[in-house]
Amino acid sequence: MTRPASSAAPQGAAIAEGGKAAVRRPFRWKDRMGLVPIAVFLLVWEIVSTLNESYEYFNPIFLPAPSDVVKEMWYLGQTGLITESIAASTVRILLGFLIGLVSAIAVGVLMNKYARVEYWLSPILNLLGPIPALALLPIFIIWFGIGEVPKVLLIAWTTFVPVLTNTLDGLKSVNPTLIRSALSLGAKERHIFFKVVFPSAIPSIFVGAQVSLGLGFSSLIVSEMMGAKSGLGYIIVDARNYFKMSNMFVAIVLIGLEFSLFSYLLKLLERRLVNWRQNGVRSAVEK
Amino acid sequence: MHLAVENVEKGYADKRVLKNVSFGVDAHEFICILGHSGCGKSTLLNLVAGFLQPDRGSVTVNGIPVKGPSKSRGVVFQDHALFPWYNVLDNIAFGPSVQGKSKAEAREIARKYLKLVGLEEYADSYPDQLSGGMKQRVGIARALASEPDLLLMDEPFGALDILTREMMQKELLRIWLELKISILFITHSVSEAVYLADRILVMKDGYVAETFRVTMDRPRDIAHPEYAELVRRIQKMLTDDQGEGIHD
Repeated sequence: MTRPASSAAPQGAAIAEGGKAAVRRPFRWKDRMGLVPIAVFLLVWEIVSTLNESYEYFNPIFLPAPSDVVKEMWYLGQTGLITESIAASTVRILLGFLIGLVSAIAVGVLMNKYARVEYWLSPILNLLGPIPALALLPIFIIWFGIGEVPKVLLIAWTTFVPVLTNTLDGLKSVNPTLIRSALSLGAKERHIFFKVVFPSAIPSIFVGAQVSLGLGFSSLIVSEMMGAKSGLGYIIVDARNYFKMSNMFVAIVLIGLEFSLFSYLLKLLERRLVNWRQNGVRSAVEK
Repeated sequence: MHLAVENVEKGYADKRVLKNVSFGVDAHEFICILGHSGCGKSTLLNLVAGFLQPDRGSVTVNGIPVKGPSKSRGVVFQDHALFPWYNVLDNIAFGPSVQGKSKAEAREIARKYLKLVGLEEYADSYPDQLSGGMKQRVGIARALASEPDLLLMDEPFGALDILTREMMQKELLRIWLELKISILFITHSVSEAVYLADRILVMKDGYVAETFRVTMDRPRDIAHPEYAELVRRIQKMLTDDQGEGIHD
């Protein structure tokens, strides 16, 4: 905002921070304090593993030290296995997640608009929705083979259910006064949808998307553990067969990192699209 | 512009909220509807706005029945009802934009009305960042940007503190004199009604119990004997057969 500091606001101005300028904050180590517990956790793990190697409380192969995992990761990286696995997994999760997300939003919009669609779909989805997606995997494999299709479909289905529920919730919870005010300003039906109903559902859609992302990742890994020849989940089964514990840990760490990255990107997108929202404890009390 | 409300009845379930209400509003008239909570004044406004349809009787503008909401009847809501995802300028530009103006034209119009309510500096702010009085100014600017003949205001200053409220009343009179529109203003404050209106319709229990014409020159002085006398008379009639009084 470019207003002179001296300009008198018409009345007790409650302007907090000006629009988009508030989003960009300077980097401070203080904001990265969440890294300390992680560092301590890794350090303790390293110490336990190293001590165990000398004293053999249990078989050292069971719990490789983080430094060994990093070494193994470096070695596997050299062979190209890691890049290949990450690429395979990323394509699956992205495709499945996007298909699930887009179709859930589309179905949600249709269900919200046409009572007939809701009448027919809602009971069926209530019946199928709660079934753990992983129980469906063997059926999907028999129906669609062991290629990419069953994996992507499984992820899409796991994404679909929570996003649909939250989309419907968001679409239905729009404040009716906002619709009235849009109507009195001459808005047509399409304006009401695109400028009022849908924007007010976006925060709920993001809630569903975050939940779905976590579920989608479990579907990804499990589907790669059953009937796959690539991907992070495949590294785990393959390593189990040869009892290579450190490879399993490499895959687990990579899964965690990839999920965190995706989750973070989703948060960034949300912050960009829902930048009008100011709530939570942080905006209630300044410290 | 002439609004005519004739023998209107409206009920929900088995409760009749409006029982035979009739009145008219002429061009550039300022009408206040005054009454207790639950006397049906908001229902009446929603009927005029076109959000509700009467069970009996008719609501017409220039002889044409009101079938639904229209941009020629702007509405200002008590809870301002601004779109939280649009900044102040785009909130005001909403009307012109959905009525088919280009984005640039709509923003140009919005800027004009933002200036009218004195908030040019806050064009880029979001509604959540504004104080109550400022939100309501934006609400007024947004309703005016569609250039309505009639502005319907549903207790617009009800949630504001007393100082802000008095300032907003002055502002509203200035805008009303400048734009020469008609205003139908709902309030439960006797003093506010006497300060603003050309005519005050006092509603009681679903009827227009009495109409008061206010002929004092504006700006009106609260200390003026005629002002005090009118407030006293209206207050008396509102509290006559009711236990609770109005303290404003």
